[in-house]
Amino acid sequence: MGDRELVDALLGKDRKATAEFVGRYSDAVYSYVRSRLIPHTDRTDDLVQEVFMTAWQQLGSFRAESSLHTWLLAIARHKVQDHYRALLRQPASLEEWDETPALISMPQFDDILDAQRLSAKVALTLAALSEQYRAALLWRYWENCSVRDMAQRTNKTEKAIERLLARARKAFKEGWDHV
Amino acid sequence: MFEWGDDTFKSLVKRTEPTALDKDKEAKTPAHLKAKIYSRLLSIQSETGPLASLTATSTNGRGLCVFEEAVRILPIGEQVKSLNFCKVCHARLLGEKLSKALIYWKNCPYADFHRS
Repeated sequence: MGDRELVDALLGKDRKATAEFVGRYSDAVYSYVRSRLIPHTDRTDDLVQEVFMTAWQQLGSFRAESSLHTWLLAIARHKVQDHYRALLRQPASLEEWDETPALISMPQFDDILDAQRLSAKVALTLAALSEQYRAALLWRYWENCSVRDMAQRTNKTEKAIERLLARARKAFKEGWDHV
Repeated sequence: MFEWGDDTFKSLVKRTEPTALDKDKEAKTPAHLKAKIYSRLLSIQSETGPLASLTATSTNGRGLCVFEEAVRILPIGEQVKSLNFCKVCHARLLGEKLSKALIYWKNCPYADFHRS
C-alpha cells in the first residue's frame, strides 16, 4: 500500500490500516527520538506516542509532497525540539558562570582516525553534561537550530541563549578533556 | 589557542552521531509500545465517530482476526460492526503489558507487533 492509499485508509478509520501505519513507521520515529534523548531515554515512549497522536490529528493536512516517513520525522523533530525547549525554559542553574571562554588548543579531530571512537567520545561527553547543557548543544548543533529560533521558542533573549551555549560548550570541553 | 565555538561543534557534528553509546540504536520499537500507540489511535478515532466497519475492512482485502470475523458474519447492523472490539480483547491487554506476549491470533495487530 502506498502512502496516499494508507493515508486515505487511515482517514477512513480502517483499523488494519492503523495497525499498518504503526507497524511501518514506528521504528523510524522511535529510533530518531531515542537518538535525540540519549542518554536519558525515559521520555522516549511518551514522545513517540505523542508523535503518532499528532500525526493522526494532522493527517488531513498531509499532501504527499513528501513521503509519510519524512512527514512523520518532521513531527518527531518538532516534538524533540519541544522537549529541548521545556528543558531550556527551566531556571538556569545557580552555579557561577565563569566568563572566561574555553581557551584550549583546537582539537585535531582528524587525528582520531576512527569515527566510531570519536562518536563514542562525543556521546560520553554529552552524557556527562547536565540535561540543560546537553539539550542546548543537541538542539543547536545536531538539530542545526539557529540561536534566534532557540531564543524565540524559549522566550529568552538571543544573548541568554548565547550565554547558555557558551557555558554548555565550556562544560563540554572540560568533559572532553577527561573522557 | 582557539575557543571551542560554533565551528568546533559544527566540525564535530559532521563526523559524529550522539547515539554512539546507545547499544540499542538499531533496536526496534518495543512491541508493547507499538501496542499502546495502536490502542490510543483506535481510541481517539472512536471518539470522533465509528471506525470503518469490519465489512468494509474485509472488502478492502484486509484480514480480520477470528473474533472480528465472527462479528462480521453476524446478521447485525454495520454500526455495531464499526465498534472498537480491540478495546475489550485480552490480546490488547497482553500486548500492552508484556514485552513478549504469547498471542498467536492470525490478523491480530497485537500479535503481529509481538512477532515482528
